[in-house]
This record gives sequence, structure tokens and C-alpha cells, in this order.
Amino acid sequence: MTRPAKETPSTDIQVAICGSAGEGTIAAGDILRSALAEAGYRIISFDTYPPEIRGFGKCIARLRVTTEQAYSLKQQSDVLIALNDEHAIPHIGEVRDFGAVIYDGHSIAKLPEGGHVSGHLRAGQLPYPVSLRELCEKATGGNRSRNIVALGFLAGVYQLPKDAFLRIITKKFGKKPGVAEQNQAAFETGYTVGEAAFRLDDVVFGAPKRDAATRDVVMINGNAATVRGAVDAGIDCFFGYPITPATSIMERLASEMPKHGKRLLQTEDEISAIAATIGAGYTGARAATATSGPGLSLMQEMLGLGVIAEVPSVVFVSQRGGPSTGMPTKTEQSDLSAAVHGGHGDAQKIVIAPTNVEGCYRCGGKAFEMAEAYQTPVVVLLDLYLSNRYETVQFGARPPFEANCSKPRAKAAPGEPYRRFALTEDFVSPRALPGEPGAMHTITGLEHNELGRPNDQGDMHERMSKKRHEKLKAALKHPDFTHCKRFGDEGRIKVGMLAWGSTFGECLEAMFKARAEGIPCAAMKVVMLSPFPVEPVSAFMDDCDVVLVPEVNYEGQFARLIQGELGRPVVSLARVPGVPLPVDEILETIRRLAASGPRDAARLVRAA
Amino acid sequence: MAEAHQQIYLEDKLKEVRESGRLEYRSKALPTWCPGCGYFAMAGGVPAALNSLGIAPQDTVVVSGIGCSSRFPFFVNTYGFHTLHGRVLPVATGIKVANDALTVIAVGGDGDGFAIGGGHVPHAARRNIDITYLLFDNGIYGLTKGQTSPTSAIGFRTPTSPYTNPDQPLNPLLMVLAYGATWVGQAFAGHPQQLEELIRQAIAHRGFSYLHILSPCVTFDKTDKTYDRLEQRVRSLPANHDPQDFAAAMRQAMDVETPPMGLLYVNERPTLADALDGIVVKAGGAEKRARKVAKAA
Ligand SMILES: Cc1ncc(C[n+]2csc(CCOP(=O)(O)OP(=O)(O)O)c2C)c(N)n1
Ligand code: SF4
Ligand SMILES: [Mg+2]
Repeated sequence: MTRPAKETPSTDIQVAICGSAGEGTIAAGDILRSALAEAGYRIISFDTYPPEIRGFGKCIARLRVTTEQAYSLKQQSDVLIALNDEHAIPHIGEVRDFGAVIYDGHSIAKLPEGGHVSGHLRAGQLPYPVSLRELCEKATGGNRSRNIVALGFLAGVYQLPKDAFLRIITKKFGKKPGVAEQNQAAFETGYTVGEAAFRLDDVVFGAPKRDAATRDVVMINGNAATVRGAVDAGIDCFFGYPITPATSIMERLASEMPKHGKRLLQTEDEISAIAATIGAGYTGARAATATSGPGLSLMQEMLGLGVIAEVPSVVFVSQRGGPSTGMPTKTEQSDLSAAVHGGHGDAQKIVIAPTNVEGCYRCGGKAFEMAEAYQTPVVVLLDLYLSNRYETVQFGARPPFEANCSKPRAKAAPGEPYRRFALTEDFVSPRALPGEPGAMHTITGLEHNELGRPNDQGDMHERMSKKRHEKLKAALKHPDFTHCKRFGDEGRIKVGMLAWGSTFGECLEAMFKARAEGIPCAAMKVVMLSPFPVEPVSAFMDDCDVVLVPEVNYEGQFARLIQGELGRPVVSLARVPGVPLPVDEILETIRRLAASGPRDAARLVRAA
Repeated sequence: MAEAHQQIYLEDKLKEVRESGRLEYRSKALPTWCPGCGYFAMAGGVPAALNSLGIAPQDTVVVSGIGCSSRFPFFVNTYGFHTLHGRVLPVATGIKVANDALTVIAVGGDGDGFAIGGGHVPHAARRNIDITYLLFDNGIYGLTKGQTSPTSAIGFRTPTSPYTNPDQPLNPLLMVLAYGATWVGQAFAGHPQQLEELIRQAIAHRGFSYLHILSPCVTFDKTDKTYDRLEQRVRSLPANHDPQDFAAAMRQAMDVETPPMGLLYVNERPTLADALDGIVVKAGGAEKRARKVAKAA
């Protein structure tokens, strides 16, 4: 199979920048991805931080720069920028053959034996020793902008658009007088040296695609996209308590919402955050809170109240390593069970999980529609990887969200008491809001009759439990929303994948590779996790010899959910590395399953 | 046309309970208070206060936690939200933040407010959210049948303190003063007229009003906070008490032996809504806010 020749080579290059916190590692990554996005490339980027804020922990900024749509980071990087020898050395291995390593060539004398990057390069990797410190001192009189010198060098070697970098540097440092100029000088110096450096044709940035489709593209991370969705859907009130990795949702809303005349309050804890969200929801406001696993645990009792009292609310949950305080700066998908089954009693709510940054925007807005239409809490599950990962996304001119999804209230007959929990055909009761005359009523967490009055008769509990569960079925047909979607081969599938949340990107990449190897392969993303889209998932499974469920948790929570909902076997690939699942590991599992055939695969069920 | 505030449900149910001879309040089908419970004072006092202030029932939300006292929303003809044990204040906060036009009255017991919900009181008070908090202190967990509460006296015997309660009781009045409440009063369920008047003042106050109501649990406390014993101990505030004087209010609040009745402290400062509006102005969203509020009205 030969590739068709193209006029401009399509770009697919991954750059990793590795250094300690405080060396400007993340800042350099941020400038690089912003400049390249502005230049018209597509970007997927994800940084990893140490748990401590200051100090010498390792930071890595990784970005994949492409001209075609990509779905995850690559296993191997094409270029590594080492800002710190000690931290970078373990990552030299991730640079592919004929890939480049840019490092400070002059610090060798001061380092212990084996402490310098140059001693660890593989044959075939292209070394770029650059006098980062010296160049920086010459250009700026100090050594703080070594990261920018390195960026300049990278841009010079690969002939990246200089203007875009200089603009971003001005934007980023413009507020502090002199600092922007210093960094521009550092960049220019690095660029000049880079331009003169030797270059292999193995790493080539083709021209970015500039057309109508890329014009309104924004580079944005999952949390920011979620916020944009919430704001576009008309969020009225937000209540929250800071927690990694959800905090930036609240921080961004804190600056955005008041501009729209809306209100945000930092509450004393997560219990009060969800309580106030539900209080606001009771008045008809579009209200939300955001948290991570520990906060979700604290919110469970109140979410149950939202379910039984039928009050709309939206909870954004960005997952991190658990249980307890777990691994606050590492990604994980281990709050699925808590979101879907958490809390006491039969308290089903709506749970949705976007699979990419654009999905964060859609779910961020659609959650409010659903909460209002079905009068129930809606949990939107993100995770650290998705919250912090940047992607280039194109937004439409108009927000795709409905401003009002409430079921209108018919005029009650005079003398008739208002039946807040009237049993209707679709099980959703018309809702009156405080302030409306003639419809006063009390809602409660006690089981109640149609009027909302406490009632603990068995038949009433049966009827009302049914109402609360049946009404959610309509959410499976909620308009203009992708509940689940199939990608890849049609027809008979050897290995199918079912995936949710951020891991879906890695599954897609693995699927492309498997298909390139000739394995009939397909992947379905499941965005709506509760209520569960049984029919389309079941139809997909019908087509597959074996179904693999990759996810980042130990228990195989999604695999168990599928097995519980459908009673059909799946193979679980459940791992907790604290980082996204490696594409190669998924691919290897696909290969093994494809080779073993359906009967052997059945034996692997839950054993993977 | 505004409907008048009225007690609903209660009279019928009470009659039924009496006629059935079931004097236990927690009848399975018909939850209500034990005859003689101090809480009856609020069932009359709150509607009367709202009526005299001319606040329409549809513009009022009574929010409560869980406990005997927290059953109140079912007995009054306004909007109501019977929430979770201890969470009355944060739910009330959400309601008020979302809609300034509503009069929000929070109701709960001593356990609700100062045990499980104790973490919320400081924040409602310091933010000076414009709601009224009616705290019914019977020094006991009524709904769960008489266990020790954070305001139970040392030496009080209950099923969870069979060897008597060893813990120092809290002083909620001192606490809310320290937390920054801008209206602090104390009443006794045995003096319903004064209670009604204080409820009226508390609702009228712009800011966080805290009314501490000593209210006997006739079923589970036969020895300590009974009508008779409280009647002997309560007193009026001195005629020259200046409710603007914070230190004087603290001194009065310290007297738990002969609890002073009336308005201990009042003070005007910006409310939470003022603060949130200020943020909107700083962010340049005032015009949008005005449009939104006008549309809602
Ligand atoms: C989370 C939770 N824990 C415990 C309870 C049980 N419970 C209900 S009311 C109550 C105490 C009530 O005492 P108080 O708040 O003083 O109200 P009172 O009944 O005396 O008016 C308790 C412990 C509950 N409903 N929820
Ligand atoms: S507080 Fe005591 S007297 Fe009042 S209803 Fe509850 S148990 Fe009965
Ligand atoms: Mg009590």
C-alpha cells in the first residue's frame, strides 16, 4: 500500500517539553500551542504537573500538531525539548527514531556522570545541543527566558511562522513592562540559531490548512469549553467550592457570569454548593455547580433530594485519581459508578460524558436543557485529561441550545389545588415556580402524593418511583444530542470497542491503526450513561464478534455498567496509570482478540 | 389578587389526630406535631407576621431542614421546600440568590441548625443574606424521639445519653452574633404574641435575621426545658438595652440562666445581593442584569 502523493505533506508532529515546575515548561507549551493554533494547525495538547505548586517537580507539556483531525496524543513524540536534564532523561525514550532532542549543550560540566541528556540519546535520534543559558544571557541579561530561547530554536529549525509566536509572546507577557521585549529578544536569538541548524527531512511541518473551515477555530481546553457551553445555554447561577481539576470551571465562570449580569457564589463546601444549586433550580433558574470525586461524594444526599423533589440542577464532575484524596493531579475515570449509582434509594439521574473538548461545549449547554425538560439533576462527567486538554474547536455562529425547555403549566381549574407532581402521560409534571399566584405548594424529600404532601403508602411509592424513572426515558431521545455514535467499519466487526469519556480518543486512534492492519474494527462512543442507551449499544454489539471496553479505572466500571444493563459479555481493559491509556496497549489488545476469535475471547471476559 | 396567609392542613389533621386518640405526632400517614408542642406558636405567628407586612403568599418561600420543627412548610399556604437534615440555609441561599423578589424564611431545629448544619450558619450570617432564620430550640432531637442535641443541658438524660449528657451546650446566640448576623432576637413559644411581633420584625429586617425560639418538646422533655421551667427563667431585656450596641448584645446573650427575650442586636450593612450586584457592576453586566430582573418581574 503506497500513500497518495500530496502537494503539501500533511503534518502530524508531537512536541514534548520537559522541565521542572518554575522553569517555564508549561508556559512554553502554552505559547507553542497558541502560536501554532493561530497559524492554522489543529492541536491536541495535554500537560502533566507535579502535585506541588512550586518546587522542583517534573512538568511535561505535550502537543500534537496536525493538519487533519486527530483524536489523542501519540505514543511517541517527534521532538523533545529538555529544559531540565534530570527530568527529561527518562523521557528521551519516547522520542521516535530520527526524532529530535533539543537540550542545553553547555551544562555538562556541572552535572554528575550520567546526569546530562547527551549521554542518554539513542543512535538515530537527532541531537540539538543549544547553548540555551548563554544565548539567553546574551539576549536578555538574565537566564529566565531559556524556555523561550528553546522555543525560538524549534521555530527556527522547522521554519514555523515567527509572527504568530511574537504576537502570542506579546499577549502573554504584555502586561509587565519590559518582559515582553525580553522574551521577544530571547525568541529571536533562538530562532536565528535554529534557522542555521542542520535539519533532517523526517520531521517536517507542512503548511497549515487555511480555509473557511479553520477560520473561526479556537484553541480551548475542556473546562473552558464546558464554561462556554454553560454561558451559551444561559446559566443564571453558579455555586461552587474549589477542587482540582474542576476549579478552573468556577474561576472562569467567576469572571464571565457577572459580565452577563449573572451570579456566582463560592460556598462553604460542596454540600452547600449543590444545596444552593437546587435552591436556585427550584425558582426556575438555570443553576450549576462543579466538583471532582470527593465533592460528588458529599453531594450525593442532596442529589437524591433533587431526584425525589424533581428539581433541575447541573453538576459538572471532573474526575481525578481516587478513592479519597487519591491522586489529585492525575487523570482517572473512576467516578462513573458514583455518578450513575451513587447515593441512597432508587435515585436515577441523568449522567452524560463528553468524549472530546467540543463535546464538553455541547454537554455543558445541553445539560441545562435536560435538567429543565426532565426536572432532575444532570451530572456531566469530565476528567482531568479532558478538563485540561486543549483542542482546536470550531464554534458555530449561534449557540445550539434552547433557552427554555420547561413544560408549560395549564391553568388549573378554579378551586382545584395545584398538583405539582401530577401523573401525566410522559411522567413529567407541569411546573409552577415561586412567585406564581394560585399554585403554592411545598416540595419535599419525603415520598409524596401528586400534591406534594407526604405520603408513605406502598402504592403511592410504587407510582411515584415509576414516574421518576419513566420520565427519564425521554432523555434518550433528547433532540439535537449525540447519545452514542458508531465509528469505523460497517457490517461484521471482529473487534468492536465501547468507550466513554476522554478514553474514546485513544480508542479511535487504536481503531484506525487496527483497520490499517486489516482487522475489521469499529468503536462506539457512549455519551449518555444514564439512562443507558440499551438499543443502539445492543445493536452495535450484535455486529461484533467481541467487544472490548477500555477505560481508566481499576474495577472496569463501564464494563460492569454495560453488563448490568445488557447482560452481555464484554472484555474489559481497565487500567489506572494516572495518565491516558496508551494507544498501543489498546491496539495490542485488539490484535490479541482478533487473533483469538470469539470463543477464546469469551474466556478473556473481565480477565483482561 | 393576593391570597391571605392561612394555616392549612393542620387544623384538620390535628382534629383527626385528637379524635383518633393517637397523641403521638408521628402518625404514619399524617405527620404533625404533638398537641402542646411549642411549634404551634410558629404555625400561627408566621402567617400573621406575613399578613401584617403585606407580603403575598406566592412571593414567600418557607424552607426547612428535617425535624419536627422543619415540618412547618406543610402547614402554611406559601411556596415551601422541605429539604434535608441540616441543609436549610444553603438551599435558602440558592433560592434568594436566584430570585431577590422572594421573601425567604428558613425554619429548623437545634440539631438541624447547630449539629449537622452548624457549618452553614457562619456563612449565611457573614454574607448577610437577606433571609429570616427561625431556629426552634427544644434542646432535643424531637423527630427521632428524644436524643441529646447540641443545646441539651449537662446532666440531661436521653436514650443516647443514658448516663446523662456530659457535653457543654452551645450558645447559638453568642455564635450568630460573632458570625456577623445583622438581626438577632430571642423569643419563647410560651409567649406567642411577642413571638409573632419578633417574627414580623425579623422578616422586615433587610439582611440575615436570626430568631432563637425556646420551644418545649412536651413529649420527650419532661424535666428541663418545660413550659413551667422556662416561664420562670425567661425575662425581658432591660428597658435601656440598646440593640445597636454589639457588646451589650453579647453580654445579654451570655446569660443562659435567665434568657433575655426581645431584639438583642440590629445593624445595617450591605446584603449578599448588594455584594453580588456590585460584582456585576464591576464586570460591566449591570444593564444585562437590569433587563433580566425586569423580564422576571
Ligand atoms: C443525614 C441525616 N441524619 C440523620 C437524620 C435523622 N434525623 C432526622 S431529624 C433529626 C434531629 C432533629 O432534631 P432537631 O433538628 O433539633 O429538630 P426537632 O425535631 O427537635 O424539631 C435527626 C437526627 C436525617 N434525617 N438525616
Ligand atoms: S418537638 Fe417534641 S413535642 Fe414537638 S412535635 Fe416533636 S416530639 Fe412532639
Ligand atoms: Mg430540636
